[in-house]
Amino acid sequence: MILQIFSTFLKIGFLGFGGGYAMLSLIFEEASKFGMTVSQFADLNALDVLIPGPIAINSATYVGQVYGGFLGALASTFAVSIPSLVFVPAFMQYEEKINNNAYLKAALTSVKAASVGLIFAVAISIMLSTAFDMANLFDWQNAHFDFLSLAILIAAFILHIRCNISPIGLTLLAGAIGWLCYFI
Amino acid sequence: MKKNLILLKVYLLAGAFTFSGGMAMLPVIERELCEKRSLIDKESLYEYAALSQTFPGVIALTNACFVGKKINGASGMFFAGAGAVLPAYVLMSAATLLYQMLPQEGPMLSALVAIRATSASFLFAAAYTIARYNLKAKANIIIALICFIFTLLNFVGAPVLIVLSALVGVLIYSGKDKK
Repeated sequence: MILQIFSTFLKIGFLGFGGGYAMLSLIFEEASKFGMTVSQFADLNALDVLIPGPIAINSATYVGQVYGGFLGALASTFAVSIPSLVFVPAFMQYEEKINNNAYLKAALTSVKAASVGLIFAVAISIMLSTAFDMANLFDWQNAHFDFLSLAILIAAFILHIRCNISPIGLTLLAGAIGWLCYFI
Repeated sequence: MKKNLILLKVYLLAGAFTFSGGMAMLPVIERELCEKRSLIDKESLYEYAALSQTFPGVIALTNACFVGKKINGASGMFFAGAGAVLPAYVLMSAATLLYQMLPQEGPMLSALVAIRATSASFLFAAAYTIARYNLKAKANIIIALICFIFTLLNFVGAPVLIVLSALVGVLIYSGKDKK
């Protein structure tokens, strides 16, 4: 299991262009092979927001910890760090050849575009799971509409994008609202 | 050795107190390494920050490795890298352990359900922000749409889509280059 966690995060690291959020779609897909549910993944996102540090490191540690305990977390965090330790010395060795390579830039631009689609799809999956209780897009029979979740989802998006309110504050606020609604 | 300890300390501090992603570390790094100790100039720091984004892997860590290597060679790279990773690793391990002990019922479940909804909002916001700055050419919009639909319908895995998108980007560019 530890070896599997290690190789999974090594793969995620080397394919993870464009930062933490772009990597989350890879992590979502790969961790579901270990048995991670959409709710667990959504909780991972919440912890990413609440705990300081790079999102990719936080996420790797979480998945490793959940599926492999202490050693699992160590393996996943180390594995996801390896690309940096490989590319930095390599780049400094061959700086001029890689720098300003137009092909590399072209590839990166389209990977960024791809990541928009990938992140958006993951966001839709979480929305379907939290606001409609659906396991996937075709799961209409079990659909169960949750008004509060959808309202919080939309409100948090608008407050974050328009009013620039920090994700930490919004996460804690949503938790407090959810807590209170249990008693109403 | 003294430089290594400074790198470790600065990155540990920056890592422990900056939320929501690694780039937020930069101002702290700038203040500590450029202004207070003048170990590296601002221009190099931000050049490395931009460069780090073009490599696969954890951007904040790549950036720390660049800065560490520049300041003190291979050992500097390891100390800065360790500093950038350790706070997130330790804090997240503890948080995950605590999270696993949370009761998934009653008011706590109700709070978690509400929090899960916000995680979708932040992913939508991330997609929106990246789209605003990167989806200008028609080809990129098509790539984004295809990746979105294929992932949602579960046709093709994300790793395959990422590699294919990179290839398409290179092909489109070499097509333009010939003209």
